[in-house]
Amino acid sequence: MKDRPTLLLADDDATIITALTPFLERAGFHVLTATNGKDALEKAQSHRPDMIVLDVLMPRMDGRQVLRTLRHAGLQTPTILLTQVGDALERALALEEGADDYLNKPFESHELLARIRAVLRRSQSGQASLSTAWRLAAHGLTIDRRARRATLNEQVLDLSPKAFSLLEYLITHPDEVISRERLLQLVWGWEYPAGTRTVDTRMFELRKALGDDPSDPTFIETRAGEGYCFIAPVRMLP
Amino acid sequence: MWQPEPVLAFRVGIGAGIFSILFVVAVLIQIVLVSRDWGAERSARKVTRERDDSHRQFLRRLDHELKNPLTGLQATLTNLREAESDEEIRQGVENATQAANRLGRILGDLRKLSELEYQMLEHRPVDIEQLVSEMVSAACSLPAHRGRNVKLLVSKVPVLPTVLGDRDMLGLAFYNLIDNALKFTTPDDAIEVRIRDDGRLLFIEVADSGAGIPLQEQGRIFEDLYRGENASEIEGSGLGLPLARRIVVLHGGDIALRSDPTQGRGTVFIIRLPAEWRGNVTKP
Repeated sequence: MKDRPTLLLADDDATIITALTPFLERAGFHVLTATNGKDALEKAQSHRPDMIVLDVLMPRMDGRQVLRTLRHAGLQTPTILLTQVGDALERALALEEGADDYLNKPFESHELLARIRAVLRRSQSGQASLSTAWRLAAHGLTIDRRARRATLNEQVLDLSPKAFSLLEYLITHPDEVISRERLLQLVWGWEYPAGTRTVDTRMFELRKALGDDPSDPTFIETRAGEGYCFIAPVRMLP
Repeated sequence: MWQPEPVLAFRVGIGAGIFSILFVVAVLIQIVLVSRDWGAERSARKVTRERDDSHRQFLRRLDHELKNPLTGLQATLTNLREAESDEEIRQGVENATQAANRLGRILGDLRKLSELEYQMLEHRPVDIEQLVSEMVSAACSLPAHRGRNVKLLVSKVPVLPTVLGDRDMLGLAFYNLIDNALKFTTPDDAIEVRIRDDGRLLFIEVADSGAGIPLQEQGRIFEDLYRGENASEIEGSGLGLPLARRIVVLHGGDIALRSDPTQGRGTVFIIRLPAEWRGNVTKP
């Protein structure tokens, strides 16, 4: 059974569980399910799955509480939070609680699968989850997520809050190509047809502040037709 | 018989007079305060009633907007269960996807509206000409509007001021108005977006030569989820204009509308935003 990674899927909505379970099984996972937070916590501790997909709003214990308890107990199982409200605060909280990634409902099943695979790839390569770190560095760039401040060669960067959030997401997901649509959903929380241009504008602001040349980038690479990728090696700072 | 001294009598008279005047003034103040309380209570009741009415109306409209795609989805699922050919399955999946997308759009717009209630807006100088130009090209590049032409006219003598605000939100507001003009006109109609300023305010006008908006609908099109009579055939959530207005109002501006369907002169939406003469802008 171990050749199939075990995934714990926790959601109180029966239709989501019944629709996603066969889909994830077909995608090669052994799926355990839980319909409330307490059940999810117990199964996460007893079965030690390779991956957890956790809804935020659940009865008996919400997803964030489950995640917090797991992290306090020293369990670093890669976890994706399924956020309900999709507002900016909830998105920020998801990463602060130690989630490796988050997905706003509603989402497409293939989008969830792509997230699961990306998070698993990162954790299997032995890389620690950068989402749990408060301070990160890459070359001369450092970001302090708590203070919402970025510095380049010890000079504070003048970034708009959105550009900072964009940088925060990219630096916590290095070597991952992230589409404009996904960045829009993750950082802005909503999308509309002209939204991808909004992402490009913020990317321009970010690159300008970083002094990053798109044709020979140090930090952010554009992958034509795919999206953006943070290419500099990232390390956690104490 | 004792007679009060004239000076004392005069003082008593003055005192009584002052007392009477103070008494009358106090009574008058009391009356004003009470009637003001009544007035305030009455207007508070009116505000509450209006809020309740608008809340009920919103829920009725939401119910209607959600029921339609849901009904389509249920019918499609029935068809899929009974489908006998690959073509029927393909058609069913396509219909279900469309219904799900429509529900997603409504939900997405509702989320934007609710985020606007408490989200902090950015407060940075925005190059409006550049932003409007971006939104025009984005709207025209949609498959549904491909080949449509929107003329951008900018009057800048000597230079256009910026607007202090949230670029992404303002972009959404402009986009919604341009998209709205494209949706409610035919390819033969003309659409112009004009930008000008009067030194204090920046005006962004989205004008079209379409059929115009019926007079009885003009006061209601900024209401949440309101869909005009000629809008039922046109894709939309009924939240595009309310969103645009809320964004503009949050930036200290407003949106007005000029449309006379009886004269066939089309429609002009006029956004007014406070002009900002200092600061740098982010320009891609």
